[in-house]
Amino acid sequence: MDIKEKIAELERRDREAELGGGVKRIEDQHAKGKMTARERIDYLLDKGTFQEIDKFVVHRCHDFGMEKKKYPGDGVITGYGTIDGKLVFLFSQDFTVLGGSLSGPFGEKVCKVMDLAIKNGAPVIGLNDSGGARIQEGVVSLGSYGEIFKRNVWSSGVVPQISVIMGPCAGGAVYSPALTDFIIMVKKTSNMFITGPDVIKAVTSEEVTPEELGGAMSHNTKSGVAHFAEESDQAALDRVKRLLEYLPRNCWKSPRSIVCTDNPDRTDEALNEVVPTNPRMPYDIKDIILNVLDHHEFMEVQEHFAKNMVVGFGRLKGMVVGIVANQPKYLAGCLDINASVKCARFVRTCDAFNIPLVTFVDVPGFLPGVNQEYGGIIKHGSKIIYAYCEATVPKVTVVTRKAYGGAYDVMSSKHHGGDINYAYPTAEIAVMGPEGAVNIVFRKEILEAADPDATRQKLIDDYRNNFASPFKAAELGYIDQIIYPEYTRPKLIRALEMLKDKKDSIPARRHGNIPL
Amino acid sequence: MSEIKAPMAGKIIEIKIKVGDSVKEGDEVIILEAMKMELPVVAEVSGKVSAINCNKGQGVEGESVLVVVE
Repeated sequence: MDIKEKIAELERRDREAELGGGVKRIEDQHAKGKMTARERIDYLLDKGTFQEIDKFVVHRCHDFGMEKKKYPGDGVITGYGTIDGKLVFLFSQDFTVLGGSLSGPFGEKVCKVMDLAIKNGAPVIGLNDSGGARIQEGVVSLGSYGEIFKRNVWSSGVVPQISVIMGPCAGGAVYSPALTDFIIMVKKTSNMFITGPDVIKAVTSEEVTPEELGGAMSHNTKSGVAHFAEESDQAALDRVKRLLEYLPRNCWKSPRSIVCTDNPDRTDEALNEVVPTNPRMPYDIKDIILNVLDHHEFMEVQEHFAKNMVVGFGRLKGMVVGIVANQPKYLAGCLDINASVKCARFVRTCDAFNIPLVTFVDVPGFLPGVNQEYGGIIKHGSKIIYAYCEATVPKVTVVTRKAYGGAYDVMSSKHHGGDINYAYPTAEIAVMGPEGAVNIVFRKEILEAADPDATRQKLIDDYRNNFASPFKAAELGYIDQIIYPEYTRPKLIRALEMLKDKKDSIPARRHGNIPL
Repeated sequence: MSEIKAPMAGKIIEIKIKVGDSVKEGDEVIILEAMKMELPVVAEVSGKVSAINCNKGQGVEGESVLVVVE
């Protein structure tokens, strides 16, 4: 064979590998409205930057006639490239090859890029579209899953890990995405479940469609497993690109700041009117969040789940910040199990990746209820405390209105390491609300009064005037500054600039024991 | 048919619609008092109110059906 023939042979093999499971299966993939594994990579990465690894890997299975079904690449495309100039490692499962099923060599390929990502400190992006374990490979396939899970855990908090679910992801396969930082699901074409509808029907007689059970909206509204639901493959990949704008390469770096073209001293009198003076009236906390962030841009995370808590990313004077906020518009902004878990997880994600936290507080308390208590609100609520106390990134807090009881403490209070704690003049920071406090403190006086209702009302009004304000907390130094709402943006920016080089640590240990 | 449910346990303090009324998606139909706040309960779809299953002043459980829209 001369050199020309050798090159021709490489070209022939390249073409073969790039066809995956063949033209017919590629057409099937397109007919479902899905891109192929390679099209997804091309769309996601900067043009021409993809460097493929292990293109010619094939499986070694000789059972069940598998020796006759070999495809170069073996159902997954792996490698590295750049997004917006930044290095990423990725794997893209190819549904056209044996249903994207996971074999031993398939798993080895994924592990190889994950190992490279850890050593080189760059994000890992997993594009999932797989029928699950390759049954013919038997326990080898399970071993491969296990090796991937272990690397997901080892990478956790070291490099950002983003999972995109673009087809089926069932059984044990769900645990790799579950261990990553963010899960993006494509509506209608993706689903995730441990046991599918058929098994559920056989065992419990419940009938449910795959979409109802594990579709994008199920996991974005009910289970809270996923963080984003997108309309198409393209939209899901666009989400990955946007998400990466807010994340650093690894835990030793900070997210990239950009030159800010929005006036950092921008004030807005409209902010003075957002919080209603009547404490019984709800409002939309996003009106404040959107107002203060650069160019009014806020990328909400888990926007459909536990809407009484709002979390997401934005920028202040070009610096990336993680926003956490109670949402009075939903469930009065109370803390329940789902809101607690959502909040704690986001705070820890930000702390892991050096993203300063800005917390807006308007919380009437924890949601009372038998279901909440039986569901473990004690341990789930404590996750918020754990996350904030453990977080050493800059923490700036703004109490816009209610901060009552234990809920006051947990929401990035001074006592939990808030670096700068602001309050609006509308803030009510007290051990409990006026009605409850008066009924306990003045029980006897109210009972013995000639007109108990009038006495109670007068005592409530007195209490509200004296205690339901930010001034008691400010006298104690629990609030650093009471600010005019219209100055929220410049105030936040001043604090974050002051905290830019903050150094802080908590006692060394093998690892903490967060209540799970 | 679409059911408008109580987002959480609370007390009905205002019913803003009558059976037969037309409602649009996003319209406030009920004001629920919970956690010492007045929470608007909104229609998730447009349609005609076919039943109201609660009374002013009544305490309701979370997830209970308050209004049926067709």
